[in-house]
Amino acid sequence: MKIAVCVKRVPDSETRVKIASDGKSLDEAGVKFILNPYDEFAVEEALRRKEQAGTGDVVVVSLGPAAAQETIRTALAMGADRGVLLEADRVPVDGLEVAKALAAELKHGGYDLILFGKMAIDDYNHQVGPMVAELLDLPCVTAVAHLDIAGQRGTAEREIEGGVEIVEFPLPAVLTTDKGLNEPRYPALKGIMAAKKKPLELKRAALGAGGLEVLGLTPPPQRKDGKVVGEGPAAVPELLRLLREEAKVL
Amino acid sequence: MGERPGKGEGLIPAQYQPPLPLDKLLVSVGAPGAGDRMELDVLIVGAGPAGLAAAIELAHLAQRDGTELNIGVLEKAAALGEHCLSGAVVNPRAFRELFPELRDSDFPFRAPVRNEAVYLLTADSRWRLPTPPTMHNRGNYVASLCEIVRWLGEQAEALGVNVFTGFPAASLLVDGARVVGVRTAASGLDRDSRPLANSLAPNDLVAKVTVLAEGTRGMLSQAWCTWQQVTGENPQLFALGVKELWETRQPLDTIIHTLGWPLPSDAFGGSFMYPLAPNLVALGLVVGLDYTDGALDVHGLLQRMKLHPLFRRYLEGGEMVEWGAKTIPEGGYYSLPARRSGAGAVIVGDSAGFVDVPSLKGIHYAVHSGMLAARAIFGALQAGEASPARLGEYDRMVSESFVVRDLYRTRNMRLAFKDGFYRGGLKAALMTLTGGRLPGRKIAVERDAEVERRLTAGASPGLDLVPDGKLTFSKVDGVFKSGNATRDTIPGHLIVGREVTPELAEFYARMCPAGVYERADGELRVNAPNCIDCKATDVLGPRWTPREGGSGPRYKRM
Amino acid sequence: MSEVLAVAEQRDGALRKVASEVVTGARRLADALAARVDALVVAAGPVQGADQLGGFGADKVITLTNPAFGRYAPEGYARVIADRARAGGYRAVLFAASAGGRDLAPRVAARLGVALAQDITDLAFEGGAVTVIHPVYAGKALLKLKLTATPAVVSLRPNVFTPVQRPKAGTAEIVAVDAAAGRVVVTGVKAAAAGALDVAEASIVISGGRGLKEPANFKVLEALAAAFGGRAAVGASRAVVDAGWRPHADQVGQTGKTVSPTLYIAVGISGAIQHLAGMRTSKVIVAINKDKDAPIFKVADYGVVGDLFEVVPKLTEEIRKLNG
Repeated sequence: MKIAVCVKRVPDSETRVKIASDGKSLDEAGVKFILNPYDEFAVEEALRRKEQAGTGDVVVVSLGPAAAQETIRTALAMGADRGVLLEADRVPVDGLEVAKALAAELKHGGYDLILFGKMAIDDYNHQVGPMVAELLDLPCVTAVAHLDIAGQRGTAEREIEGGVEIVEFPLPAVLTTDKGLNEPRYPALKGIMAAKKKPLELKRAALGAGGLEVLGLTPPPQRKDGKVVGEGPAAVPELLRLLREEAKVL
Repeated sequence: MGERPGKGEGLIPAQYQPPLPLDKLLVSVGAPGAGDRMELDVLIVGAGPAGLAAAIELAHLAQRDGTELNIGVLEKAAALGEHCLSGAVVNPRAFRELFPELRDSDFPFRAPVRNEAVYLLTADSRWRLPTPPTMHNRGNYVASLCEIVRWLGEQAEALGVNVFTGFPAASLLVDGARVVGVRTAASGLDRDSRPLANSLAPNDLVAKVTVLAEGTRGMLSQAWCTWQQVTGENPQLFALGVKELWETRQPLDTIIHTLGWPLPSDAFGGSFMYPLAPNLVALGLVVGLDYTDGALDVHGLLQRMKLHPLFRRYLEGGEMVEWGAKTIPEGGYYSLPARRSGAGAVIVGDSAGFVDVPSLKGIHYAVHSGMLAARAIFGALQAGEASPARLGEYDRMVSESFVVRDLYRTRNMRLAFKDGFYRGGLKAALMTLTGGRLPGRKIAVERDAEVERRLTAGASPGLDLVPDGKLTFSKVDGVFKSGNATRDTIPGHLIVGREVTPELAEFYARMCPAGVYERADGELRVNAPNCIDCKATDVLGPRWTPREGGSGPRYKRM
Repeated sequence: MSEVLAVAEQRDGALRKVASEVVTGARRLADALAARVDALVVAAGPVQGADQLGGFGADKVITLTNPAFGRYAPEGYARVIADRARAGGYRAVLFAASAGGRDLAPRVAARLGVALAQDITDLAFEGGAVTVIHPVYAGKALLKLKLTATPAVVSLRPNVFTPVQRPKAGTAEIVAVDAAAGRVVVTGVKAAAAGALDVAEASIVISGGRGLKEPANFKVLEALAAAFGGRAAVGASRAVVDAGWRPHADQVGQTGKTVSPTLYIAVGISGAIQHLAGMRTSKVIVAINKDKDAPIFKVADYGVVGDLFEVVPKLTEEIRKLNG
């Protein structure tokens, strides 16, 4: 099975957000970067599919700065075979630009599956995967929480409000992965050693200006101080009154 | 000076401590239980300043000699530096020796020390003291140990050293009386220790020489010393430091140390406040774990301390960006193990106790000890035998170096404070004036856990402060700011001793800065995922054992 | 003439609540543009509630029908919506950032060759361009973006754009279209739990933490949710999800869901910052905890200090009375 997994280098979700002096981006001092957790499910799924098929090739592709090589190496340490970094000083805010660059790289790869995490924990955009699918004219299912593949057909399950959607699709396909799909493996010691020797190709990403411009990055508005309404069940009537008359939510 | 409780009136922590689990810490090589096995020339346990310095010097020596050495460093944290914490004001001399071709400006230090001040605090005032000679820091640099370790890691990896993060060493692999490597901890177990879908079996790493660079209160180092029956003239003593990193509105340009308030007069310790940058301030409180008030809570004291005008002035309007805690070996010269090398193993850095409390220095000793260990090991490998005699060269080199020379000079200073702040202070002053000659004879001490604790309620100065979330914070908030995101379902890693009384539970709850222990309905509740590996528990309470790699804090600039 | 297209989501032949939110958002934008709002519904046949969209500001409601569109068909829907957007020369196309919308909007944007601002919480027209606010870094920061291409394609976070009733009603038309479902076919929907409302969708979320003591005690919260009559969902803190008490789908915060309900009630939750990240943008937060010093009280708008096993049943009783 030939599988490509697209991964992103993101700030650790526990990151304290400090805004850079330009007022438009994250101040990266002291920020730790990791492999996007949703992409880990994608890497793990790719490795399992390859293992099940008995043979194949898993390539990890990322668009990002030079430091994203380390992110790719993490995926290589998990067991992927090779990596490609499309180097860009900044990841564009416009997901379509990212998708165009990735699609150009993936177009002639003859992949059975192209996997993405459903979203990145920094931008919460949920878009690059399905956009790449459109650009490559491939079927796509997003937020996959369960996957079965038999030959050239796949069945996926994805969480929707109040239920689970069951979706069938043909291969080759693009899938974006959600939590619950699998438990990503910890890189083994041998995997970490081997990763250093696996091929990692560097290319310069060709990016356009895109259709989104950042006007500003600001902290969320401060909530004003709350109040303790009272103690015990006796406070309930007053609470309800405030919710009805003051907060107007009931 | 505080009163020591009479025998039988208080609580002696040692009576409730389980013994070191040697059966788990020492495993015969070839015993089943491991998945992968890897062979190395030299294995280093711990990627702190001592471990990385050893790796770098070994790589340098091999490079110069044209030989290839397979060097592996195991680090339990998920990334370099994440479990490293210190003040810190660093003496650059060991770095200069490790990297003779670099200049001070190349080193990962923040700024040279310009001004320094020492104060004696009272609840609302302060008295400037003349800086004790042992604490002069001219020529030294303010630094973040995390930044130092990340930089050392880069140097090591550039030299071809393999650094494996997320791999705690859980046991020593032994063959007869020889250390042949370590076995790592398993990953991916549930709270009943059953493997989950993605579990990773332990790995065995075998090497000709194993360097134990585990930092303060290292488990394998303790196991090795107990097994080899190696002791110091005194047992090792420990202090607990709780530290915070703040972004401040008010700039600071002076390194500050304080004594006195809020510590009770029979507790040893003091505070520090250092500017990493004018508006990035590290501050903390360090307290010897032989405190006699069973209700003492170092984190609580630090919170109260920040309300003092001296600190408040800088912190008001600022933001706490990180929090953490770690113990420090304080016993000095007399607590050093008689030898720090043996068949197949050497012990470096804080694990060996190379910390000088009067000057608050340990990092450059760690680096230097790592370097000397590397030289001895290289010599032994060249000669084709990692024998105790060959590795003993390391002990000889250390004894002749400034490491032991410095520790010898201040050998009784910390110990003098066992008599309380004022008597101790007088003795310490005398020692300073006479270069350690008076009073010179070793002061014998007991282990911290043997010290009896008073249980009278409210004996400590105003600990029960309700955190305001702006200047003062709860332990849970602190743990969050340490970056701890340990999986809630990992197996418990703390070995609790025999029946725990409500008083003991209360003592543990106060002792632990991370809120691991709670007294709930008269019983002990253990929130193990909170643990930030400071090791205070191992000194005074339930035994600490290694857990899944990547657990614990994620310090960034501590 | 620049118009605004609002894609109104339906399921099983009935409009979903988010549809009125999207039309409301579209109306707000259209007013700034002095433009019309067209609501677009894609379905197998007439959709219940479609004609009500006029009451939320749609000048025209267009339902595109094809037998293949009984269930969500990503490729088929994307094609007909993109075709309609292109043909209509719309200035902006709005979706809901629901599970379906987040899947559909990127496909449409890519087909149109334009950027997508996904999951926005505010929308305006400034300096000749559509501007939006998008929470990032788990809600720890807000990104303000300008969309420079036409049409401006955006998806609106559910429960943020409170539907606003308008007196004016619009026209409605149903148009059969020639289309195929596409290669990706939804073959069925399994219920997650009988009639359970999703935490990300509910306008009232009641979350339980370790203070509940045991998984069985969550029934106390379920009773409260039921008392609100179908508008409330029960969520959980990371601690209880990791402990296996509640399914991951219920987790609020960090790697669980970000929720933005009108009313968020935190029961037996101390207020660890991971949890706060997930519910920070709730309109009103109520905390019930027996520890008066619990950090959640600093974040809550209203707090009750007490034993949840006494307070919550009392609250349930009072809410039942309120709802008759």
